[in-house]
This record gives sequence, structure tokens and C-alpha cells, in this order.
Amino acid sequence: MKRSPVIWVLIIGGIAITLALPLILRDKQYWLFVATQAYFWAILASSWALLAGYAGQFSFAHIALMAIAAYFSGIVGRDLGWSPLSGIIIGTLVAGLVGLIIGLLCLRLRKTYLALFTIAFAEIVRLAINAELDFTGGPMGLYLEPLIQTTSYVPYYYLILGLLLGSLAFMYALANSRFGLFFRSIREDEEAAAAMGVNVVRYKIMAFVVTAMIAGLAGAVDHHFIGFIAPSELIIGRMSLVIAMAVIGGIESLIGATLGAIFIHFSLEWLQQIPIPAALMPRIVEFKPALENLGFALTERAIQTNAWRMVGFGILLMVTLRFWQNGLIYPIIQRLTRQEAQAETVAKRQPAPVEETAAQERSEE
Amino acid sequence: MNLEVRDVVKNFGGLQALNHVSLSIDKPEIVGLIGPNGAGKTTLTNIIDGVYKPTEGEVWLNNERVDKMPPYQIARRGLGRTFQVTRAFRRMTVMENMLVPALALHPGANRREVEQKAYEVLEFLTVEHLANELGRGLSGGQQKLLELGRLLMLDPQFIILDEPFAGVHPKLQEAIYSYINKAHSDGKAIILISHDMDSIFTLSERLVVLHFGAVIADGDPAKVKDDSAVIEAYLGKDEEEDEDA
Repeated sequence: MKRSPVIWVLIIGGIAITLALPLILRDKQYWLFVATQAYFWAILASSWALLAGYAGQFSFAHIALMAIAAYFSGIVGRDLGWSPLSGIIIGTLVAGLVGLIIGLLCLRLRKTYLALFTIAFAEIVRLAINAELDFTGGPMGLYLEPLIQTTSYVPYYYLILGLLLGSLAFMYALANSRFGLFFRSIREDEEAAAAMGVNVVRYKIMAFVVTAMIAGLAGAVDHHFIGFIAPSELIIGRMSLVIAMAVIGGIESLIGATLGAIFIHFSLEWLQQIPIPAALMPRIVEFKPALENLGFALTERAIQTNAWRMVGFGILLMVTLRFWQNGLIYPIIQRLTRQEAQAETVAKRQPAPVEETAAQERSEE
Repeated sequence: MNLEVRDVVKNFGGLQALNHVSLSIDKPEIVGLIGPNGAGKTTLTNIIDGVYKPTEGEVWLNNERVDKMPPYQIARRGLGRTFQVTRAFRRMTVMENMLVPALALHPGANRREVEQKAYEVLEFLTVEHLANELGRGLSGGQQKLLELGRLLMLDPQFIILDEPFAGVHPKLQEAIYSYINKAHSDGKAIILISHDMDSIFTLSERLVVLHFGAVIADGDPAKVKDDSAVIEAYLGKDEEEDEDA
């Protein structure tokens, strides 16, 4: 597939903006922090898209694997005095190992059962962490040593951005190699793939292990930045958020899921409160009791929508699933990239023998 | 080359789908496999291809026992099949469908060369104009051709075709005929399962008849046709066993 110049402009422009962001946000450190976390979520959403969108393994264990790596790294640091770097490495390997075990246990499970199995797994991990006070800190959480000794967000910004770009490059190469082809053939029809010589077991497990390690690496690094992890991060709602990011971005597209995650993470921050122009404020104040009854708090210059923003995203997720199964962002990317590829296809076409072509029209994908 | 099914029994719970079936193919020939619905044709296919494990008996492929191997290993050892209900990879393009078996078999192959070969195969099957269409965009007949195309990319010695003509437009049927003839002249052995007796008798050099999970006839089609047991199985008394195993 050839890319049109437009997409290159967008890619280079996008990278330039992300690289320059610490300068642009010099006086808004909070938003730099938000951006760093957006990249963290983007790593989770894109690696989940590889597992679920490409390989068809609809797992709910992704956040749990991320947290396992972070906890492991924190615990070996606290109890064994390991450096954060070696903690991150061992945490990532442990996440991969747990991914391997889940993959093996789920080999024969069809989609629905895989989802139920991994939901149960994630809940067990959360409850176990919650219950084990001495080891994990229980509900009080666990403190992690900083990876970089600094008070600035900037080094972490570049670190996690680098992690995102690195994992995207790796996953992109994987998805476009023969492995990606095998992943998708397994997603479409395991039995037919096996009949074509594809080692279904190996590639399913490969998908689980690779994505578990990416999630684990991101989780360990990010929590050495945040400095703290608690079992409340493992609630099913956080996993749903990863899924929503990937689905709204485009579950079969790494870049779609990445942009979906960044878009949603920023939106969630923005939507904590909606700023109101001063002129409108007196009129809004009239409705103050009604708004407060609904759960919106009113400040001097804004409406607090904290409690309601997730409802909005829930609805957006449902609408996306119902009407745009390829997501909202991926189709736009495709529009920009496919023009040339389509021209090429048309040129290759020779006068076709007349036959009952059911649907020549190429809809999505 | 040889493919040997040795005394295979397959039980599903209390149901005996195959009852001591033996079958041996050791030269490039077209073997028609027929029998009433529920006779065990598809079960036998699934045993040979490794999807099912036999309850008793063995399957040998080129002097290697394969009945304990997973399907992908049997495929890599030279056995390819199509499915009764077509199983194109629906959300992948026709070209990507074609690449899967080729790259599964030859991981180090040059992608461009493989694509070139796939394009030639699609040309042979008269569907090269569909190379960039998604599997789900094809008609039923075109999907059957795509399955044959994938088989050509896998390039197995033994080919099992399960109902290749069912629901196929006459024009595409010709392409399937020429596919079978070409595979045959290329030295492949073909097991052809079909309810279309015209095609079976036109193409087959040997006919095997399954009935209630047992082989009741095996030999020259002209002779098998007049075999009294076969006539009874098809036209005789038990009309009520119309269930698929």
C-alpha cells in the first residue's frame, strides 16, 4: 500500500508537535502530565488492538497484566532493593509469562468464553492484590521509586513518548509481516488457517505474550513515574476504557487505537469541567439547584461534569459499535491513505468475465 | 506418494460415524467419494486432515503416521482440503488469503515473488480482477475458487475437495473442472466428494462408496455403479437416514 503525500505531512507534523510539546506547554505542566498519561494509555490501547483487533483474542486481562508488571517492579525494588530499571525488566518478563499462561489456558476457548475467562482473571488479580496487605500494600497501594531523579515532567514525557513510538514501530512491523497475516487468518477462521498450514497455537500464544509484555513494560515504566499504584486501577472500568479507546479509534488499526486513546484521554481531562463565558454565567446560575441535583457542581467560571463524562463516552462507545465498527478515526486515516492504492487496483483490473459478483463495492477495512 | 487410512473407527458418543474404514491411495488419481447424507464422508475428511482424532485405527501419509498430528502439520506434509461450507478469510483481501498458505509453508519466501505467483494462480482461476477485494465481498462461487487458489498456493500432493460444485454458477464450474484436471495432470491425487453424480462420473477414475460409516464399494466407477450394494444404498429401502454426521 502506497501512502499519499497528505499522510506523510500529517505523520511528520504530528511527530513534530509531540516533540515540541514540552516547549509549547512550558507554563502548563499539568497538561504535559496529561499528555504523558495519554501516551501511556495509547500504548495499552494499541497493544490491545493488536491482540483483539488483529489476532481476534478479545481479552479483558490487559490492565491486569500491566498492573502485574508494575507491582512486581515495585515489590522487587522495595523488598530486594533492585533498581527501578531491573524491576521494569523483570516486571515486563513476568507479564509476558502470565500472558503465556493465559494464552495456553485459553487456547480452546471461543470468543465469549475467552472474554469471561479474562474478566475473571483480572478480578482475581485485583482482589488478591487488595487482600495481600504485607506484600502489595493492599488497598493502601504501593509506592515505587522514581526511574529518573527529577522534578520535571519533561524527561518522563520523552521517555513515554519514546516507548509509545518504539512499541508502535515494533507492532507495525509485526502486523505487516507474515505474523500479522497469520494473526488475522486465525481471527477469521482458526480451522481454515490450520488447514493452510498455520500453526494456530504458536501464533495465538505469540500474540498474548507480545502484547502482555508491551502492556507490562508501559505499566512498569509509567508507575515508576507516577510513583504509586493501587488495586483501584484494576477495576473493570479501566479495562473498558482501554477497549473504548481502541474501538472508537479503530480496533483493527494500531494508529487508530493510538489516536483514539490520546483523543479520549484528553477529552476526559477537558470534560472534567466545561468553562462558561462570564456573560452566560448569570443565566446558568438560575439553574444551579437543578444542575446540582443532577450531579453537576457549579464553580465561578465552569460547570463540573466529572461524574457525567464517562456516561458520554459510554454512549459514544455504544454508538460507534452499532454504526461504525471500524471506529471513528481509522476510516479517516484510510481515506487519506487509500486514494493511491485504489488507483493502483483499478489499473490492474482487466475486463472481468461476467459473473455474479455479489459485492464489488469495497466498503470498509 | 501414499495416503493410507487403516481400519479407522470414529465414535461420537454412542454414534459410530466410521466403522473400520480403510482406504489407500498411492498414485495420482481422482478418487470420487460418495455416499448418502450421514454416511461419514466429511468425518473421514476430518480424520485424514487431523481435525478429528480416530477412536481406533491409523492414518499414514508418505510413510509417516499422521493421525496424532495437529492439522497444520498434516497440511505442511502435503495434504490440502477445501470445506463443504466455504471458509475464505472474510475480512482479508483475496491476495492476503492467498499469501497465508504460501508464507506458512515457506516462511523465508520473498513476498513479491509469492504475490506474483498468487496473481498467476488467480489468473488461472479467472478471478485475478478480485485480488484486492475482501473475502466477504465475493460470491459463493468465487469463494470456492478462492479456496482452490489457496490450495494451489499450499501445493499439496493430496487434495480433498468437499462439494466443490455445490451452489456454483456453471461458468465458475468450468474453472473448477479445469482446476481438477490441471492438478491431476500435475501429479496430484484428488479425493472428490460430491453429490453431483454427473461430475463424479465424468472426473473420477476410482469410486469409493461409504454407507453407514463403512466402505461398501471401491473400484472402477463403471463397475461400482452396477454394484448391488451401492444401488441398494442409494435407491434401496433405508431412505430415512438423512442426517449428517
